[in-house]
Amino acid sequence: MAPTRTVKNKHAGPRTGGAGGAKRSSDGGGISKPRGKSGGPKAKAPATQVKGRPNLPGLDKSKKKKQRVYTEKELGIPELNMITPVGVTKPKGKKKGKVFVDDKESMTTILALVQAEKDGQIESKMMRARQMEEIREARRVEADKKEAERKAKLEDTKESLRRKRKRTKGGDGQEEESIKAVAATGTKAAKAKKKRVSFAPE
Amino acid sequence: MRALTDQEMKTVLDKLANYMSDLKSLIAPLEDGDRYVFRLNHSRVYYVKLSLANLATSISRDALLSLGTCLGKMTKTGKFRLHITALPIIASGARHKIWVKDNGAQPFLYGSNVVKAHVGRWSEDCPEHQGCVVYSMGDVPLGFGVTARSTAEARRLDPTGIVCFRQADCGEYLRDEDTLFAG
Repeated sequence: MAPTRTVKNKHAGPRTGGAGGAKRSSDGGGISKPRGKSGGPKAKAPATQVKGRPNLPGLDKSKKKKQRVYTEKELGIPELNMITPVGVTKPKGKKKGKVFVDDKESMTTILALVQAEKDGQIESKMMRARQMEEIREARRVEADKKEAERKAKLEDTKESLRRKRKRTKGGDGQEEESIKAVAATGTKAAKAKKKRVSFAPE
Repeated sequence: MRALTDQEMKTVLDKLANYMSDLKSLIAPLEDGDRYVFRLNHSRVYYVKLSLANLATSISRDALLSLGTCLGKMTKTGKFRLHITALPIIASGARHKIWVKDNGAQPFLYGSNVVKAHVGRWSEDCPEHQGCVVYSMGDVPLGFGVTARSTAEARRLDPTGIVCFRQADCGEYLRDEDTLFAG
């Protein structure tokens, strides 16, 4: 059992960190070679082989070195996505060289095909342009409406402010007048205070 | 000189369909029983009568400089470039048209794009980036290009705004004299 243990430790050594390592050592038993490839069922197959053979340490080692080579089909791996150059694959039964279009029928066919395709493209382009135009127009109308609303609101507030002002004028009319009078006579009063020089009559 | 392949024919017609509304007239049989065909020589595509094309087979490819009407050039990437020499054919069945005023004809013929101020009138319902033929007010085709704006958008454009991007104009007959037919 000693050599198997050492082999196992070789593989498991760097990987196992703690509890996992301990578990593996317990369930694997002495046969640990195929463990590297896959876990459960494949680990059992070599175990049966070992059973049939005498438990010689030297023979065991040579067995371990041999690894079964699986073909791609067995593994079920998808085939590699290889690049095949254009020139390499030659269609069999096909003539070499270019195929010219010179007869009227084929020319007409191509022409009709191209024309239909182009017409469709242009039509869709125009439809899209029209739709975009409609959307733009709707947006513009919306923006105009909003602008008008905003202006109306502004006018309303202005009007309300004016009304308020008038009302205040109507309520404190006398005070306003007195202030006005003071303001008006203020300068005159100052003028009246001005000193005058006059000669007394003889 | 050879006929066009399937793909080449598709490319050429696809390009022509950008400018023309009716392609069938291109290959319609003529009164004398003859018809027009497309031929390729030195990567240039020619629109030529079948009888003439058959006669031209007697001339070697290297010696054949030009025949019929040169429509344009096939690029090495398989695209097709229309030349100004194709203008009479395109103009005969133009899908969208722009007429430029007399004051706009000269700038256009000198290689400028068409600005809104120079447009006399244009065909309605034209989407943007669509091929169009440029005419003078006297209905003389001057060149072709692609529209920069749709008709509706172009109406709102300022006078200096570009309405049509120039692709080819008749001034190229003088400007590109050396390379237009060979090289």
